[in-house]
This record gives sequence, C-alpha cells and structure tokens, in this order.
Amino acid sequence: MARRQRGPARRNDKPVGYGVPALLAIGLHVLVVILSVITLPQRQPVESDSSSIVQATLVSTETTTDQAQRAEEARARAAARQAEEEARQEEEARQAEEQARAEAERQAAEEQARQAEQEQAAREEEAHRREAREAAEAEAQRRAEEADRLARQREEQEAERQRQQEAAAEAERQRQQEAQRRAEEEARRQQEAEEQRQREAEEQRRREEEAQRQREAEEQRRREEEAQRQREAEEQRRREEEAQRQREAEEQRRREEEAQRQREAEEQRRREEEARRAAEAASQGLDRAIEGESDAVANARQAQEAANSFINLVRRAVEQAWVIPPGASSGLSATVQVQLGPSGELFGATISQSSGDNSFDRSAIQAVEAAAPFNELRQLPPAAQRDFRQFNLRFTPGDVR
Amino acid sequence: MNDSMSIPHLIMSASTVVQLVMLILVIGSILSWVVIFQRTFVMRRARAAHQTFEERFWSGVDLNELYRETPSEQETQGAEHVFRAGFREFNRLMAKTKSADAILDGVQRSMRVAWSREEERLTMHLVFLATVASASPYIGLFGTVWGIMGSFQSLSMAQQATLATVAPWIAEALIATAMGLFAAIPAVIFYNRLSSESDRLLGKYEDFAEEFHSILHRNLQGRSETGAA
Repeated sequence: MARRQRGPARRNDKPVGYGVPALLAIGLHVLVVILSVITLPQRQPVESDSSSIVQATLVSTETTTDQAQRAEEARARAAARQAEEEARQEEEARQAEEQARAEAERQAAEEQARQAEQEQAAREEEAHRREAREAAEAEAQRRAEEADRLARQREEQEAERQRQQEAAAEAERQRQQEAQRRAEEEARRQQEAEEQRQREAEEQRRREEEAQRQREAEEQRRREEEAQRQREAEEQRRREEEAQRQREAEEQRRREEEAQRQREAEEQRRREEEARRAAEAASQGLDRAIEGESDAVANARQAQEAANSFINLVRRAVEQAWVIPPGASSGLSATVQVQLGPSGELFGATISQSSGDNSFDRSAIQAVEAAAPFNELRQLPPAAQRDFRQFNLRFTPGDVR
Repeated sequence: MNDSMSIPHLIMSASTVVQLVMLILVIGSILSWVVIFQRTFVMRRARAAHQTFEERFWSGVDLNELYRETPSEQETQGAEHVFRAGFREFNRLMAKTKSADAILDGVQRSMRVAWSREEERLTMHLVFLATVASASPYIGLFGTVWGIMGSFQSLSMAQQATLATVAPWIAEALIATAMGLFAAIPAVIFYNRLSSESDRLLGKYEDFAEEFHSILHRNLQGRSETGAA
C-alpha cells in the first residue's frame, strides 16, 4: 500500500500493492468455506449409506416368477418329504424284520434252554425215582430180614408151633413178598404214568406256545400292514391337502391379482375420467384433479418411504447383530429368507442361497434370530405388511469394519 | 448428526490448542495466497515492462535520449533499471577518466548492483511461500495428534467406548491436517512456478546487461581509436 501511494502513476511503473491480492486471498478462503459448509451436509447421508454391509431385497409375494419359484420349492419339498417317508418306511420294515428275527432267535434259544432244563429235570426225577426204588427195595429187604428174624425167633420160641405154622408163615411171607412186588409194580406204573403225563403236558405246552407265537406273528404282521395302509392313506391325504392348499392359494392370488387389476383399471378409468372432466370443466376443476393426483402420489410415496424405512431398520438391526466369523473372506455371500408373523415375530429364517461356508451361513441365521422380533412391521400400512411378511436378506461381508 | 458433525461445529468445539493451530494455518494460508496473487501480478507486470523496454531499446533510439526520458528520481524496474544504472555510471566515469577498462569495470559493477536489486525485488516473499509449503503440514499434523490425544483422554473417562464417542474428536483433529494440506499444496505449486518465472526474468536481465555492456565496449573502442588517430 505504502509503495503504491509513494510512486506517481505512470504507465507500468506503478508498483504492485498488497491490497488487491489480500482481498483476492480472503475472498478465495471465504468461497472455500462456503462451499464446504453447503456441499458437505448433502453428501454425508450418501456416504453413510454406502457403509452398509447387508443388502436387503424385498421378495414380493405377488410376482409371477416368485410363484413359479414357490411352486417349484413346494414340489421339491414334497418330493423330499416323500423320499424321506419312503426311506423311513424301509427303515421301519427292516427294523421290524430284524426284530422278528431276533425274537425268533431268542425264542429258539429259550426253547433250547427250556428243553435242556426239562431234560435236566427229567434226569433228576429219574435219579429220584431210582433212589426211591432202591430205598423201597432196601426197606423191603430190611423188612424181610426183620420178618425172617421174627420168624426165626418165633421159630426158636415156638419151634413146634412154628413148624406147624410154617406153611402159614411161608404163605404169609409169600403174600407179603407178593404185596411188596405189587406195591413196587404199582409204584413203577405210577411213575410211568407220571412221566407219560408230563411228556404229554410238555407236548401240549409246546404246541400251545407254537400257536401263540404264530398268532402273535400274525397279529404283528396285520398291525404293520394296518400301519402301512394308514401311513399311505395319511400321505395321500396330505398330498391332496397340499395340492388343495396350493390350488386355493393360487386361486386366491389370482383373485387378488384380478381384483388388483380391476381396481387399477377402475382407478385408471376414474382418473382418466376425472382428468377429462377436469379438462372440460373450469380451471378450478383442473386444480382439484391435480390436487387429488398429487395426494395419491404423496400417499404412494409415503407408503414407499415407510417400506424403505422398515427395510432399512431391519437391515440395520441385523447388521448390528451380525457377528461375522473371523475366517470369512469378503467374497462370500449368503441369502437368508425371513418369514415374519403378523406382529413382526420371526417365524423362520432359512438359507435360500448358501455361501458354501457353513459357519458363515449359521452366523447369518443367528444374526436374523438375534435381531428379531421386528415390531416395526405393525407400524406399516396393512397393505405393505403383507408384502413384508416374507423377504430376503443378502449377507455380504463387504467393507467389514 | 449433520448438525454436530458439520465442519464449523467441529471447529468451534475443538480444544484450544487445536483451535490455535487452525488459526495459525488459516493465517498462513491467507498470507500465502496474498503472496501468490501479489507475486503473480508483479511477475506479469515485469514481463510486460521488459518486453516494451526491449522493443524501445532496440528500436534505434539514442541512448542519451532514452536515458533522459525517465526522470532520475523516478524508480525504474527491471532491464530499464539496469540500463539506467549502467549508463549513469558510464557518463560519470567518461568525464573523469580516459581508460576504457576502468569505465567498463565501473559500468559492469554498477549494473551488477542494479541486477541484484532487481533479483531481490522479484524473489521477495517467495521464501515465505516456501516456509508455508514445508511447515504447514507439520503444524496440521501436530494439531491432529493433539486432538487425538484429547479424544483418547475423553475415551478413558467414558463408560462405554463406542465409535460415536471417539468419532467427533477424530474428525475435528483431522480437520487440522486437512487445513495444513490446504495451505501447503498451493504454496508448493506456486512457489515452484513463481521462482522459475523470476529465474527466467533475471536471466533476461542478465542477457540485456551483457548486450548493453558490449554496446558500451564497442562505443569506447571506437572512441579510443578515433582519439588515438
């Protein structure tokens, strides 16, 4: 400044002062500050949005492609269930067979054991009987000796009389021996009869057991057949019900679509009519039509915003609950299908597209389970609620912090 | 969030040391830009003046006339300054001595003095630009380190260490570095540009001085020959 004032103005020789450069520099800084203040707040939401790691995509329940997919899924599920059922039946049959075989074996073993026991018992009885016979013989001998002794004593005491009565004694002895023999005979016969009876009883029991076994086997077979039949009937009924349900759902969807189309057409027609009327009518009519139009647009936008906010909310909740397994590489991606109840409680979370890494899939499911329930579903408009009962969440580690 | 994380809010809520650092950086940036603009204007004007003077000098005008055109008290710049200093010395020495070597020596000396004044005039304040360019990143870094120290101190007080408690501190600390770079980058670029331009101008002045010296030398040579004859 000082130099400029000192030198008189002449051609190019006026020295360059500092006033203009200072003004320019300050102006430049003010401009930079203004730019940073104005543009940064607008850019910030975009930046924060890009840091999301879970991309939630809504799977609409109305699209036809999804229907096909779901039918496919249902068919696949039914086939899987059927295969499972068959496998189970086979398994059961095999098990029953094995059981029967084991039973038979056990029975045979028992039979053998019983027979062995019986033989043992028979042997023992025989031994008893032999002992008894021997004892009886010994007894008889002793008695005979006794009788002999008595006879001899008597003979000695009354030799005369004895001799006279010898014949009688002889007869007596003979009678006694006879009786003894008869008793022995009798005993033997009785034993034989006993044995015979026992054998018969044995036989009888065996027969009865056989019959019993057969009856049981028969019974078992009948029961199994019955169960088999019931299961088949059950299966058949379930399949039919499934098909019926699918048909009904299909029907319902078609009706809804139809209704939706009709409504839309109605709406369209009404709007067109309105527009036409408005065009024909005075400018205030036009204004009113525009107002209604913008109202409808605003409502639609509001619903859209609510839906977006719900999806964002779910995404944020799941993101926060997600513990990414330490070994997961950033290239992994898993899609989880989430089914919600009417008030936002979690009905089921299943992997619809696996990442190939089990722990990663599990962590995704756990994140959804930890983030549930999503009570905000109730705050949505009823029409949107139905759409959000089922949606897909895609998990990608992306920019993991 | 937007309100608490906006840059003015962050600057206002920064600690005193960081604010001081930011103030220094802002002043440095403004001054460096003042220098940049002022030097740019000076260089442009000097280049234009040099061009017009050279055209006039080589147009065949009488040197005495050219010398008399500008009053002696008028401060001249660039090649004209060199010319005036040399010609004044030549005229003064011509009246006192006949020795051509002594005259040429004196003329050369006075022209070298004028040239060195011109050099000083052209490169004035460029050192300040160089200082800002090299020092302001470090100053900004110091502010950042200080701010992050503060953030960790406050983190030790907090019950729950979340990203939200540290983030504003770190953001405000990083602003200092950003400002340092903001001041340094233009300073570096324009220092290089302006210094190379002043070098080029000074080279032209030197060339002119040599040419003028050779003209005077030729003049003296012719005069001494006519004097001898």
